[in-house]
Amino acid sequence: MAGRRTLKAVLIDLSGTLHIEDTAVPGVQDALNRLRQASVAVKFVTNTTKESKRSLLERLQRLNFDVQEKEIFTSLSAARSLLEQKQHRPLLLVEDSALEDFTGIDTSEPNAVVIGLAPNHFNYQTLNKAFRMILDGAPLIAIHKARYYKRKDGLALGPGPFVTGLEYATDCKATVVGKPEQTFFTQALSDLGCSPNEAVMIGDDARDDVGGAQNAGMMGILVRTGKYREGDENKINPPPHLTCESFPEAVEHILKNLL
Amino acid sequence: MADTGWPGCSKSLKGVILDMCGVLYESGEGDGVAIPGSVEAVKKLKASDLQLRFCTNETQATREKFVAKLQRLGFDISVSEVFSPAPAAVAVLKERALRPHLLVYDGLLPEFDSVDKTNPNCVVIGDAAEQFSYQNLNKAFSVLIGLDNPMLFSLGQGRYYKETDGLKLDVGVYMKALEYACDLKAEVVGKPSPTFFQSVLNDMGLQPHEALMIGDDLVNDVGGAQHCGMKGVQVRTGKYRPTDERHSTVMADGTVDNLAQAVDMILNQRH
Repeated sequence: MAGRRTLKAVLIDLSGTLHIEDTAVPGVQDALNRLRQASVAVKFVTNTTKESKRSLLERLQRLNFDVQEKEIFTSLSAARSLLEQKQHRPLLLVEDSALEDFTGIDTSEPNAVVIGLAPNHFNYQTLNKAFRMILDGAPLIAIHKARYYKRKDGLALGPGPFVTGLEYATDCKATVVGKPEQTFFTQALSDLGCSPNEAVMIGDDARDDVGGAQNAGMMGILVRTGKYREGDENKINPPPHLTCESFPEAVEHILKNLL
Repeated sequence: MADTGWPGCSKSLKGVILDMCGVLYESGEGDGVAIPGSVEAVKKLKASDLQLRFCTNETQATREKFVAKLQRLGFDISVSEVFSPAPAAVAVLKERALRPHLLVYDGLLPEFDSVDKTNPNCVVIGDAAEQFSYQNLNKAFSVLIGLDNPMLFSLGQGRYYKETDGLKLDVGVYMKALEYACDLKAEVVGKPSPTFFQSVLNDMGLQPHEALMIGDDLVNDVGGAQHCGMKGVQVRTGKYRPTDERHSTVMADGTVDNLAQAVDMILNQRH
């Protein structure tokens, strides 16, 4: 096996990996501190689309995580830069709390549809509106296509099913900007000055976190918290570099074996 | 040499199957509106020696209510001539001892009165329209994700249909959504399932090549019928779009302006 270059960066998923809603996964604050003491760059990457960077930061700080805003990279950030690049005016089907990350983008007379995790907008009327726009030529941009996510009361539908439905209705393909798209991972690493094979991703979603990262050339560690279900590690090829109980065990492995 | 293309094939036809929404009428406020010429066209077909059946993926109302609406619009039509997905689904559920969680329009529920719905071990979705709320979809999703052997039945797989105020998302969109969420494939009951078309042909006592399907949905009406060995003709009413005439996989045997024109062409061949 070709020698790996030394590990320079760790990308860490948030929801389901470091915390579940407002509860931290046990032991993560300490594990994060130990990781920071090693000389690796850390970035928090997330497909969470209900929260702006600022509110994500506030939640993480309330949970006693040592995190700075510039270390957070979200699929909303990725969507915004695509809109700016193409000068689209979006119909934003995103939670109110996420609108803040689109401040300054012109939304009058929309000519593009942006879909995030927005249960309030996934009603028949709004989806019909989006459908008709796409049929008329508006591009469909998906912040991500997660199948489902974990809520306190169990699993709930993510935006993926609705994006898939609209793709079927219009015979169009969405542009997906979040995990597991390769560009999401390479964009997240771009200002850390390292290449994918010098980085590892830790997450609870086998396909979107680990599979996506490994496709981009990174190593992936799957944790058994959050939305993880028994057997998920067998659903991706190649399998995760490591499957372990939770974030603290992942950090242990990195400190012992990858540095 | 027998003329097997449209409209020449009409000479040897023994039966016609008509789609309803988009061919006979357009749905919308109240009863909707009859498409000009369609009431007369149905009368002409009934007066001819051709057998006639109606085949719909309508799942917002029971057959009785639905047929009553069409009669109010002036159509000569009875329940026994109409084939729709809900009764077909009920038969499948009973055959396989399945208990459904239903995500269907309220108006369709009576069709399932005789089905045991306790402790569901499958999900049935129909055209629930505004009842396709996030909450209702999530309920259906949680039933499926909690089953060891999840089964999803979709009453049709249409992408959209036309109402008087524009195009609206159909059941197929939500079928695809749940398929994606649960990583499963749904079983389609209704057009374009071959079993469904076959049940209509059986009722008519006809072989596929003796029947012609007329519909507005290129893939589900025309394509579905052709797949079973019938001829399929598309009308330019209802959900028809000009791009249908350049479709990558389905080529209608004929494309006509509306049902009235189709029926005139058929009957002209048979004098």
